[in-house]
Amino acid sequence: MINALRWLVFAIAAVAMNFPIVVTLVTSLKSARELSTNPGLWVQAPTLENYFAVFQVSDRLNIFLYLFNSITVAFIGTTLAVILALPAAYAIARGKLGERTLLPFIVNLRAVPLIIFAIPLYMMFQWLALLDTRLGLGLILSIVNLPLALVILVNAIRDLPAELDEAALMDGASRTQILLRVIAPVCRPAIVTSLIFGFITAWNEFLFGLMLTTSKAVPITVGASFFFAASGGGVQWGVASAVMIVGALPPVLLGLIMYRQISGSMTAGAVKG
Amino acid sequence: MNTQRAPSSEFRLLATPLVIFLLVFLGFPAIVNLIYSISDVSFETLRRPKITGLSNFVAVWNDSAFWQATWFSLRFGALTALLECGLGLILAIFLSPLIEKRSWLMAILMLPLMVAPALVGLMYRLVLHEFAGPVPYYLWAWFGASLSFLGPTSAFWTLIVVETLQWTPFALLLFYMAYRAIPTEVVEASAMDGARRWSLLWYIELPLMAPTIAVALLIRFIDGFRVFDNVYVLTGSGPGGSTASLSIYIYEAFFKQGAIGKAVAASVILFVVSFAVLYGLNVIASRRKGVLK
Amino acid sequence: MGTISLRKAGKQYGAVEIIKDLDLEIADGEFVVIVGPSGCGKSTLLRMIAGLEQTTSGQILIDGRDVTLASPVERKLAMVFQSYALYPHMTVRQNMGFGLKLAKLSTGTIKAKVDAAADTLKLTPLLDRYPKELSGGQRQRVAIGRAIVREPVGFLFDEPLSNLDAALRVDMRLEIAKLHRTLGATMIYVTHDQVEAMTLADRIVVLKDGRVMQQGTPHELYEKPANLFVAQFIGSPKMNVLPCKRNGDGLLDLSGEGIMELSLTGNAAPLQIGARPEHLSLVAPESGHCRGTVEANEYLGGTTSVFVRNPKLGLINVSAPADSAFRIGETVGIQIDSSRSSLFDHSGAAIARTSVF
Repeated sequence: MINALRWLVFAIAAVAMNFPIVVTLVTSLKSARELSTNPGLWVQAPTLENYFAVFQVSDRLNIFLYLFNSITVAFIGTTLAVILALPAAYAIARGKLGERTLLPFIVNLRAVPLIIFAIPLYMMFQWLALLDTRLGLGLILSIVNLPLALVILVNAIRDLPAELDEAALMDGASRTQILLRVIAPVCRPAIVTSLIFGFITAWNEFLFGLMLTTSKAVPITVGASFFFAASGGGVQWGVASAVMIVGALPPVLLGLIMYRQISGSMTAGAVKG
Repeated sequence: MNTQRAPSSEFRLLATPLVIFLLVFLGFPAIVNLIYSISDVSFETLRRPKITGLSNFVAVWNDSAFWQATWFSLRFGALTALLECGLGLILAIFLSPLIEKRSWLMAILMLPLMVAPALVGLMYRLVLHEFAGPVPYYLWAWFGASLSFLGPTSAFWTLIVVETLQWTPFALLLFYMAYRAIPTEVVEASAMDGARRWSLLWYIELPLMAPTIAVALLIRFIDGFRVFDNVYVLTGSGPGGSTASLSIYIYEAFFKQGAIGKAVAASVILFVVSFAVLYGLNVIASRRKGVLK
Repeated sequence: MGTISLRKAGKQYGAVEIIKDLDLEIADGEFVVIVGPSGCGKSTLLRMIAGLEQTTSGQILIDGRDVTLASPVERKLAMVFQSYALYPHMTVRQNMGFGLKLAKLSTGTIKAKVDAAADTLKLTPLLDRYPKELSGGQRQRVAIGRAIVREPVGFLFDEPLSNLDAALRVDMRLEIAKLHRTLGATMIYVTHDQVEAMTLADRIVVLKDGRVMQQGTPHELYEKPANLFVAQFIGSPKMNVLPCKRNGDGLLDLSGEGIMELSLTGNAAPLQIGARPEHLSLVAPESGHCRGTVEANEYLGGTTSVFVRNPKLGLINVSAPADSAFRIGETVGIQIDSSRSSLFDHSGAAIARTSVF
């Protein structure tokens, strides 16, 4: 009895929280004609025409470019964050370096409204000719990803016994060698988690994409909004829905595949950080 | 027992790339922020800012839109944090027996966390659209009336619901993990002591989850306070600036009005207040830890 | 070669002195066991020798070379850790060869050395396994193997057996003893287990609060403890310590419970007499040096520990033949083998005795 109630509550919660996704998915499968008569939650004649339309490249809309941009900037933003965070995490966890300065500063970065840095970065990028470039956006996304990557990696290294380092020291390894040949391979799960997390965060980022790109480096989150302003005759809801599904798919798939790791470190990042 | 003799200079070297990166991409902007905030500057005079003292801060201080945005951000952050954590807590405890046996249920509940808030905002443009959206459609069909969801009276509450529905899973996940981490011995011991379901919840489980609840409230408040993406794509700042968060206020001052000085001054205020509050919290947290040790 | 000398070596953490002006000379090929209660600084001392802890005062010399400021690898010592600290992502072969690889030895040389060490330790069939696929004893052997391949001038062991179960611990103890005989290398071994200390050591160093309480062969420490601390720390079951006084006749008065005919030199003023349970025997109540009532019997198989209560002397543990049976509450006499007992003064230092009986 109580279990039936639990299932009911689960169903309601699942539908409510996923409601926009469900609606968008359903809408994306409707023809333009059906849309004008049936805004409901069922599809009379499912069609993929909206998806074909999305992948039509025009002067104004190029979804391939947006997806490619998102992949590139997410890749830069993720790997750079981990490459910078791993040695620093090692120095913090083992060298007790910046435990009370660098670490809390970067962790706090996670909580600061990013708009604060957006304006000077915009101007700086203008001087450096990094505006509307994938490299520029990727660099900024690595800052967005740094706090969580650092927390995950510091915690992972702290969880390793110090004797492991000491054994390597006795074996004649330098700190850098220990990091590369012992710590990094042993921490691989944590590194993978930071990469997944970073990728999802970077892919989903909007503010910097909006501010720092205009055409060449537009990521999908910003590019999707272009479809809403398409062609004079109002929004083509079917096409707009299809583009949102396409844009949401990569992080959702990644999240579904890796949700165990993600749930674990989401808690770690939140509670220990 | 960790002061190895190995020179700390090597550790310093390992942390250097990160520090340099931060200095370039955050330190430099912070300095630019400070200079511009006390200068008269426009897009034409970016390289030749004229120092004018605190006039930008005065302008921000006297701007009613700034205070409106601050009030919006505070209310939005507090309300969404409370709603998300309240709902998340109830769901976590109530659904825990189901999720324990089938962890894929959690995957379904976590799905909204994977979608870009900007896309979710755009999706709600469809969901709430008066002709194409299913919500108005069904409201008309069943009740013969609908709401203007993004109109002046309801836009704020619509945004609250949008944010809450997307981020309740975050609180739910955190609380579920904390709930599962309560040692079974503690629960069994209290059962031996005769605790019933409600007293178990009230005297044992909730106190043990309290730190997680505090952290979740804080994180959700912060994210609600600095909200940008979904609000921006759903309502812009309208109607009439009523849904402008501080992030949107700064964005619009810069891009729409070209009021660089004002935007930057508001950034500096936000920066100083954020870091002051965060460091205050850090100090409190570390003192707590000290007491526990 | 592998002589290791500590000259007034000290270690401070802020205001806390962990090791105080410690002098120690370890000869080449010697097996030295450092033993003491937890917190006595024995692990810190070992890590100072290893170079993992900075020595804050004094000097450490290896083969006459001052290595006080040298890095661990420059000291050419190898260490076996309590948790083994095997690299979890490397096979046994890679674990053992890691140090050699870092030293840029050729692949062929590394292989030969690892194979030789694996052969000594019977690890050959395990060379391609990962640490998580090994039992505790096997991991321990790999940790030792990793130390051996580098052909160090000395081996450092940090409580290497404490993570093993009791039976395995005995086996590994014998293996380490055998290894010492085979390699003839200097070994320094830290433990809190005095059985390990007694069985393995050429020389035991007893440490307390960062100071050497006594050093000597197991036999010396057992028979002639320099002080009360060593007397009670070494030996199992623990030595009985009974309060006593020197009486007017120069004899030993057991707090009015009995007189022992020990002739004391000069002005020696013992306050306590230490006697091991096996140096006591139970006799008829009217004979013996003192008496008391039986409070408990603990049958141990080979012997029986009889606990006798004397109101003034306290609880006395007497090692009796296994088949002896005493009723609880029975009054018994205790005979003390005075030739093998130790006397301590007010500071706990042992009093030298010229004549026995």
